[in-house]
Amino acid sequence: MLKRGLIAALAASVALAGCVQTKQFADVQFTPPSGDYKLLVLRPDVTVGALTTGGMVEPRADWTDQARSSIVQALKAQQAARGGNVTIIEHRNSIPGVTEQELADVERLNFAVDQSIVLHKYLGDYLPTKRGKGLDWSLGADAVMLGQKTGYDYALFMHAEDQVASGGRIALGVLGLAGCFVGFCAPNIGGAHQLDYASLVDLKTGEVVWFNVVQAGSEIPGIKFGDLRTPAGAAQMVDRLLGRMKPGKEAAKGVVMRPEPEKR
Amino acid sequence: MCWRCAQLSRRSLLVGGGAAAAALHTGVAHARVRPEDMVPLVGPGYRPTERDELGLWKEMDRVEEEIAGSNLLIDDPKVTGYLRDLIGTVGGPAAKDFRIYLARIPEFNAMMFPTGFAVVFSGLLLRMRNEAQLAGVIAHESGHFLRRHMIRSWRDQKRKSDIFAIGAMLAGVGGAGAGVYLGDYVQLAQLGTILSLFQYSRAMEAEADAMGAKLIAETGYPPMEMANIWEQLIGEENASARYRGKHRRKGSMFDTHPSEGSRLADLKVDASEITIPGKVYDNHRARYLATIGSIRPMLLDDQVKLNDPGASQYLIETLAQDGWNGLLRFYEGEVWRLRNRDGDDVRASQSYAAAVAYPDAPADAWRWHGIALMKQGRPAEAKAAFARYLTMKPDAPDAAWVRQMAG
Repeated sequence: MLKRGLIAALAASVALAGCVQTKQFADVQFTPPSGDYKLLVLRPDVTVGALTTGGMVEPRADWTDQARSSIVQALKAQQAARGGNVTIIEHRNSIPGVTEQELADVERLNFAVDQSIVLHKYLGDYLPTKRGKGLDWSLGADAVMLGQKTGYDYALFMHAEDQVASGGRIALGVLGLAGCFVGFCAPNIGGAHQLDYASLVDLKTGEVVWFNVVQAGSEIPGIKFGDLRTPAGAAQMVDRLLGRMKPGKEAAKGVVMRPEPEKR
Repeated sequence: MCWRCAQLSRRSLLVGGGAAAAALHTGVAHARVRPEDMVPLVGPGYRPTERDELGLWKEMDRVEEEIAGSNLLIDDPKVTGYLRDLIGTVGGPAAKDFRIYLARIPEFNAMMFPTGFAVVFSGLLLRMRNEAQLAGVIAHESGHFLRRHMIRSWRDQKRKSDIFAIGAMLAGVGGAGAGVYLGDYVQLAQLGTILSLFQYSRAMEAEADAMGAKLIAETGYPPMEMANIWEQLIGEENASARYRGKHRRKGSMFDTHPSEGSRLADLKVDASEITIPGKVYDNHRARYLATIGSIRPMLLDDQVKLNDPGASQYLIETLAQDGWNGLLRFYEGEVWRLRNRDGDDVRASQSYAAAVAYPDAPADAWRWHGIALMKQGRPAEAKAAFARYLTMKPDAPDAAWVRQMAG
């Protein structure tokens, strides 16, 4: 499905070395939300699965539930510390005054825009017309309408997936490593892997003001880079993903909300 | 678990010369599954209890929410209610647990998801000639759920990929230890693994066909109608291929589904096996046509706009075996008009003229009939046709233009 395509593209964009990588972009005039703001988090998309010996991902309902509640808690704690008032919704029918269809439209539009951001910002297909403009994408009137109807200042879209290497996968990796002694070295068959991304939309202007991707993985099964199932792992992920929101280029220079484009 | 899925490109899977060698021992043939052996493996209100199936169901929750809220769905309450009733009839023990969605996609397909919701494409409703045929496809899809095909094939894939991964690693390490290169064998084993996955998938489709035939026969539909679906589909694909100067593709060892020909042959045998002599079977054609009548113009319109005149013409002629009417004649004309080869304008005008002779001719048939008459230099008759069009469709977007044409 579409979502799988985006995930595969993102996964391919960041080298599969055993490490943690983040890469964020912001609108030139973006200042990270602080003080008394209202944030709407739309259906955090969380999946945790087990990586089988043969390399397939087996989704795990119990792990996914654990991870989702850990992430929600971590997110609430983080935003509250910044002074934000956050609402996390799980279903499209949970916002009063907004129909399921309207919310679905915003979500799908956001997904299409996210795909475009990934293509033009992460996969190297850069657009000359957007050079030096930071993050220059918008959800337009639909998002503004959502803001007017609900009174929220920002909407956050979030995706997190984590694969935990199974015992068999770890054993296979150990065997690959052992093979190095006889001349068949295959230690890097791929182990635990985590991919998270988030986009923040300003519901007053409809613009996507900030986008971040975190990738954590190891080529060697058995070595972990955070585990979403645990409260500590979830808090670490939320911190990696949303902890150090960088302001946009102009906002960083202290030129906030100036209408003209930047001067060189 | 769809009725007929997209096939993987054969070339993409051919790895070296191993294919031919592996084919020798895997083979493409399959044994027919007998309908009487198809016993449902789930009862009413089935919920998963095992870890892997729980995970699969969890993932499907979001998928269903997405599909249920898709703007591609046709939400005509009459048609969707009818589909619900139908799966509630032929769905076996899980009949009351199924959900069914109708998507506006002009292709012949239907699919069942692991948690028991089905998606039917609108192109299927166009092609089915009676309720028994539609029930057959829906029963086939129900069969996938009742026989727990999704989790079984998942486990099969998991097991085979595990074995392959371990085998490949052992071959590498062991081979290196012994000082021989086993890479060729690993490639062959990989191909063998892939082929056996496809074979497993074909076996499940054969099961679903047999289960489907059994389910519809039990609920009083003639089981032979399931075989007729394949006869129609093969005919349509032949017609489409002939028009494009190509051959219909035949089965290969990389198919996820058994070849259409073998499904047809098996279903014929199934039907004769389970038909009880003296029992009255009803295909409920009248009820089917009355239900889909309101969306049939849309289904035909979507089909002719696919720019596949060979298939469209075959489809319309197949549907017309149950009797021509104004709607089918009009769309026959549309196929010619849109194809636009030499002489097609004459063919189209003949179809439009034939269409308006029926009481159910759509307004657009009168419009195009009028234009054809105009071209033939018969303005008085054309004027009458346009007048009829405007009476039937006074708010037509082109009403002003037609009025001007009519003078």
